[in-house]
Amino acid sequence: MTGSETVTLAIVLGSLVLAVLCFFWRRKLVQKLNAQEEPDKKTKRKKLWATILMVAMGWLFATQLLTFLFGPAEGEGLHVEIAASRVELLGFSVSSTVITTWIAMGGILLGALAIRLFLIPRMKDQPRGLQNVLEIAVESVSKYTDEKSGHLGENLAAYIFSVATLMIGCAVIELFGVRAPTADITMTFAMALITFILINYYGIKKKGVGGRIKSLADPTPVVLPLRMISDIAVPVSLACRLFGNMLGGMIVMDLLYSAMGNLAVGVPSLVGLYFNAFHPLIQAYIFVTLTLTFINEAVE
Amino acid sequence: MNIGLVAIGAALCLLSCAAAGLSMGLATGKAVDAVARQPEASGKINSILLLGLALTESTAIYGFVSALIMMFTLGA
Repeated sequence: MTGSETVTLAIVLGSLVLAVLCFFWRRKLVQKLNAQEEPDKKTKRKKLWATILMVAMGWLFATQLLTFLFGPAEGEGLHVEIAASRVELLGFSVSSTVITTWIAMGGILLGALAIRLFLIPRMKDQPRGLQNVLEIAVESVSKYTDEKSGHLGENLAAYIFSVATLMIGCAVIELFGVRAPTADITMTFAMALITFILINYYGIKKKGVGGRIKSLADPTPVVLPLRMISDIAVPVSLACRLFGNMLGGMIVMDLLYSAMGNLAVGVPSLVGLYFNAFHPLIQAYIFVTLTLTFINEAVE
Repeated sequence: MNIGLVAIGAALCLLSCAAAGLSMGLATGKAVDAVARQPEASGKINSILLLGLALTESTAIYGFVSALIMMFTLGA
């Protein structure tokens, strides 16, 4: 074994021993704290130190174990592609995000089938557990759609719920290391195109084709070309917003992983809590809100 | 095409982020003023603020996506 490997092995064993010792020390402090009526500050501060030292030694153990087993990380550059890689499928050349979307859709469909087969026959009047969660989700989306454009029927609320579930499913798929499907301009453009079709469908259903064109020429007919261009800008901006946000999150996480190399054990999951869990939810909310706002604007 | 010129062009694209940041900070300040003036309306103000922030942030995203496309299709 070379010199640096010996040092790494020493750090691995030393940090493991220290972590176990800190764990037992912390447990003794917690027992002492529970035995007192009012916990005193000195013991609390010692427990804080024990926790910090235990977590730090655990992190050091994990990273040095990785370095010992797999060698130091090669310093490769960061490669980012805007368009996803393409695969061959039955003579067509499709993006790899199509396959990922099918996997997400399959997961969601299996979950829905399981809920339909096992949960719905057993629903009670007083909900508890999973039925409660399901009722809260469906009711909040339904109420949100109703307060924006309730007079258009319930099918719109069902479509909005499925679009939001698909976006959340894509965010969950990203946790497994593959490229998120919403980080592909073709997928977000397809979703924005559906929004565009819905806007025009509801507008034409309410006002007729002539009425819709006349509503675009509202104050004076001079603004008709400008309003048409800004109508086309709506799905383009929806697609670009979702794509840019998801791509930016993916680039930041890739940068973090490639910069930390072998030290990326616990820290990326904290950063990923924002970029992979919270940010896609906000973007799904924005997409849904803007869809409903534009549909409402086309109908009134 | 010279990669240095492409890099300067991409960096100029990203100046829109400064304007977006400034405007979003001003909007949040006004929203905080409004909530301080009338705390019962904080739910409505919250939703209007989120909508406005997302629409304003999209201009910064346009600049970012333009810079990325520039770097990856024009650069060697």
